[in-house]
Amino acid sequence: MSIEEQYRTRAKELLAGGAVKMVIGYGKGTTGERRRPIFITSPDEVERLVLDEACITNLSGYLVSEGLLSDEKRVAVFLRPEGVRAVNILAAESQLDSDQLVIFGFDVVGNEIKALKGIHVEEFADVIESLKESAPGVAKELLLEKIESMSPQERFSYWQGEFAKCIKCYACRQACPMCYCRRCIVDSNQPQWVNTSSHSLGNFEWNIVRAFHLSGRCVECGNCDRACPVNIPLRLINHRMAEEVLGTFDHFAGTSKTQEPVLASFKKDDSETFIL
Amino acid sequence: MSEPFEPKIIAFVCTYCTYAGADLAGTSRLKYAPNVRIIRLPCTGRISPMFILKALQKGADGVLISGCHPGDCHFTHGNYHARRRWMVFRALLEFIGIPPERVKYSWISAAEGVKFAEFINKVTEDIRKLGPFEQYTQLIEETEAAASL
Repeated sequence: MSIEEQYRTRAKELLAGGAVKMVIGYGKGTTGERRRPIFITSPDEVERLVLDEACITNLSGYLVSEGLLSDEKRVAVFLRPEGVRAVNILAAESQLDSDQLVIFGFDVVGNEIKALKGIHVEEFADVIESLKESAPGVAKELLLEKIESMSPQERFSYWQGEFAKCIKCYACRQACPMCYCRRCIVDSNQPQWVNTSSHSLGNFEWNIVRAFHLSGRCVECGNCDRACPVNIPLRLINHRMAEEVLGTFDHFAGTSKTQEPVLASFKKDDSETFIL
Repeated sequence: MSEPFEPKIIAFVCTYCTYAGADLAGTSRLKYAPNVRIIRLPCTGRISPMFILKALQKGADGVLISGCHPGDCHFTHGNYHARRRWMVFRALLEFIGIPPERVKYSWISAAEGVKFAEFINKVTEDIRKLGPFEQYTQLIEETEAAASL
């Protein structure tokens, strides 16, 4: 039985038995190679569930939808390892209770779907640990190397060119499971920290703030990158920040649901070579 | 027409240490560069990275941030939190292309009036050598938002 079949059967059992009130998974999209999130509440609908190598969206963001988990009923969700990390962070930041989740874990290796064992976030600790091990060795992206070898002026110009395309649609924010603030900093107008127009100044500020708020929290699921209608390499900035946090504080976001957020904790002997 | 370039620098300081240090520099009649506009805050932990961006957005050529030495914080650990934040923010600014020479951090206690004066002088000199932050002021001009510094 394929993994897709197995998970469909399991979803059917869970829904029929009333163990979960909803299954958040993937369904067919508008075109053959696209998948869209679907929210299933009845056991008759499980045939709509699809699981293949095109299921790349991180669905964990839907878990913090207002009111979804407030009735303390359980919800099942399809998650890749990054998704599990995201759930860990949300739990660590008290945004959800991970005991309310039933996880359908899977990963895509090459073109193959691999099932991940476990239904609770704790059971994925080994998978996440192995991700951390491989993280520093991740083949450095070419573009990242290119940007790092530039002078500050060139880098500024490079990002100016990229950010000039930004239309401030905030799709990156909406797609990100970590951007759950009811009132985002750009929505605040007294004081108005970020220029809301999509001119280069406002775009710079928005993209800097976004990246900063995700430092030490981003799990690099790539939702923002895929959501961006003008293809700004947003993931690259997040990747650079994740590298920084890993290198400086040995912090790999989302290893457990009790992990302290990196910017809400400190060590007395943190390095401070740059402080005069 | 060819007046020497005078950088505009914004300093965010904590009230318990660096601001008192600045006060000491004043009462000790120490001379230091007049290019710095000091903004007093309760603690370095209160200094949001947004402040730094806002200063640049309003046309600053440089930004200084200073507070109590580690262990001396009036609120016991505000500066430890700030330190972590700065480390991450600094790396981000560098990656985006805002030269780290324009944003400087220091610890200055209430007793270090001399250090305060020297720090201000040194940073002003460094930024004067760098010249105006043209790349950023160009952005500001593009938006037709008058720099209000």
